[in-house]
Amino acid sequence: MPSWSELEQFLISGLALGGVYALSGVGLVVLYRATGVLYLAFGAVGAFGAFLMYEMLQASAPQWAAWIVCIVFGGLVTLIYGMIFGPALAGRDPLVRAVATLGLTLILFGAMELLWPPTSGATRAISLPTDNGGFTVAGLQVTWTQVIALAAGVVITVATGIFLRFTKLGTAMRAMANDRVITATLGVPVRRVEAAAWFGCGILSGFAGLLLADLVQLEPATLTFLVISSLAAALIARLRSITVTFVAAILIGVVHDLLTPFSALTNYRDMTPFVFAVIALLVVSRHGTVMTRSREEA
Amino acid sequence: MTGVDTKRSAAETVAGQRLALLRRPERPVHLSVTVALVLFALFGLPPLMNGYYTGYAALTAIYAIVTLGLGLLVGRVGLYSLGQGAIVQIGAWTAARLLFGTAQPYWLVIIEAGLVTMLIGGLIGLPAIRLRGLYLALITLMLAGAFTVVLATVNFPNGGGGFTGYNGQQSHIPPIRRPSFAGDAVGYYRLAVVVAVIMFILVYAHLRTRPGRAWAAIRQSEPAALAAGINTTFYKLWAWGLASFITGIAGGMLAGQARYLYSYNFTTQDSIILLAVALMGGVYNMWGAVIAALLMQMLPAVLQQQGVSYAWLDILFGIGILQVLTTAPTGIADQFPRDMKKLGGLIWRLVRRPGASSAGGKASAAGSATGGTT
Repeated sequence: MPSWSELEQFLISGLALGGVYALSGVGLVVLYRATGVLYLAFGAVGAFGAFLMYEMLQASAPQWAAWIVCIVFGGLVTLIYGMIFGPALAGRDPLVRAVATLGLTLILFGAMELLWPPTSGATRAISLPTDNGGFTVAGLQVTWTQVIALAAGVVITVATGIFLRFTKLGTAMRAMANDRVITATLGVPVRRVEAAAWFGCGILSGFAGLLLADLVQLEPATLTFLVISSLAAALIARLRSITVTFVAAILIGVVHDLLTPFSALTNYRDMTPFVFAVIALLVVSRHGTVMTRSREEA
Repeated sequence: MTGVDTKRSAAETVAGQRLALLRRPERPVHLSVTVALVLFALFGLPPLMNGYYTGYAALTAIYAIVTLGLGLLVGRVGLYSLGQGAIVQIGAWTAARLLFGTAQPYWLVIIEAGLVTMLIGGLIGLPAIRLRGLYLALITLMLAGAFTVVLATVNFPNGGGGFTGYNGQQSHIPPIRRPSFAGDAVGYYRLAVVVAVIMFILVYAHLRTRPGRAWAAIRQSEPAALAAGINTTFYKLWAWGLASFITGIAGGMLAGQARYLYSYNFTTQDSIILLAVALMGGVYNMWGAVIAALLMQMLPAVLQQQGVSYAWLDILFGIGILQVLTTAPTGIADQFPRDMKKLGGLIWRLVRRPGASSAGGKASAAGSATGGTT
């Protein structure tokens, strides 16, 4: 049984991880509500952006330029995908549209393996300048990257909430989540609103890729399939509430990292998001919410 | 009581018709082509292949069973599973454990692996099929992810003791045994083909009888199927169990083919690639499963010989998913003959020159003959 002082450090890293899961989960939920597409390529897009950033840093490009490339890449790829395959698959089952994004995932994943094959010796890594600075709280070392990750999760969740409630575009998105056809009839430029949702989600995927490449590991498979963890948080929120997504993401991140020092459980800690999501799905299915929801859309 | 009697006699007639339907194949040409292909795969192909390709041909036969199970779920019942990779692993693990731990005959172990997988798959499926569509796909993806994590810690049995049968030391690891009659590569390949053929017949028998019709009704509309008196939960669970059973058998065959199993050879993207190739091959046609297995196992083998990176396949499969879902939902198995038919018709018309309108009917018939045999 590890002592509290051992756990404290993992609490900090867990909060940081939870922050990134939260901003990813919020991006997934907003896109799903606005367009009906569950964007499973979220992780792959972010990972590809992170590798581009790595490549630019290797070529000693300025740091800020590399960050912008990573984030904008996510936004552009997502926007292009949404513009091509959004209309092509509109009106199909949500399941088909989610599976189609797996196509994009595989394309990006293959391209990453091709361009950045696994190295035998030194592993690739990204280190942000914020890793070195930091401060001490109650005897705990906290890096600025961890602060940024958690703060980004909080800020994105709050900002998205305000955006959806008080802006014209946000209201249009909420309207589309309720009924696309009626929204279109009322004169809302549906395609433009969707484009905004795709681009916003893509920006978040690039940002998440940037942070996760630093916090976790710069490796194609790891980063690509980390989307499943954020997805777990979104699923716990039934792909609806961004507040629940945020809480679930923080919980998953913290539990995941707190399990690290327990020798019996440390190998199983990667199961945390799956276990949470499976329990949530099964509980939700008992109350029938998921059933009605998918019937509405099918 | 006469009502019951007429009902019973009516049921008997229907049963008789069904049996007749099973006995008499719809298309004798198709049947003979299929039999010829199977005989060629059993006896014609092995002398043409070196050891490298024989191994991959065996894997193709094994994975045809997996994609058959997935095609059954997706195409016939409308259940999308993103966790079939994990089901294969359960079958392989069980078979490896039994082959190391007991002296049972090989065929018995394979069937037991199928049954255990069916049981575990059913336990997963029982709650999972209460969910629909997107949520079912996601829960299977989550379970597959969780299972991969467990397997990375537990590892595949390699002749050690205890429940997990894992020997941590790297010395004296025996290979997984094969049956005496199929010890060499060609023998095991033939065994794999025979097992695959049996599984295809099993699934075909299901599709041509009551469960097949129930699944078709469920796929069309679940409320309508329910209204027609079909126990939808039971038949969905049946499909799930059948798919798990044959996938478990494929996993067991895989254990004998690989001889050494390592958990890092099984990844989360396997499940996704399985769905990709199943969709590309075509889920509404049993030939689609064979095409999918060729795409998944034979194509990489050929490409590797040419020195092409495996990563290109991921890209190809990604494009394939998008293409199938947007323009050709029936996959290669149905799309290719249709394209060939069109091409044949086009060539026929070019050869004949635009002329007599009565030639139109003949043109399409000739086209279908070329399309059918290719």
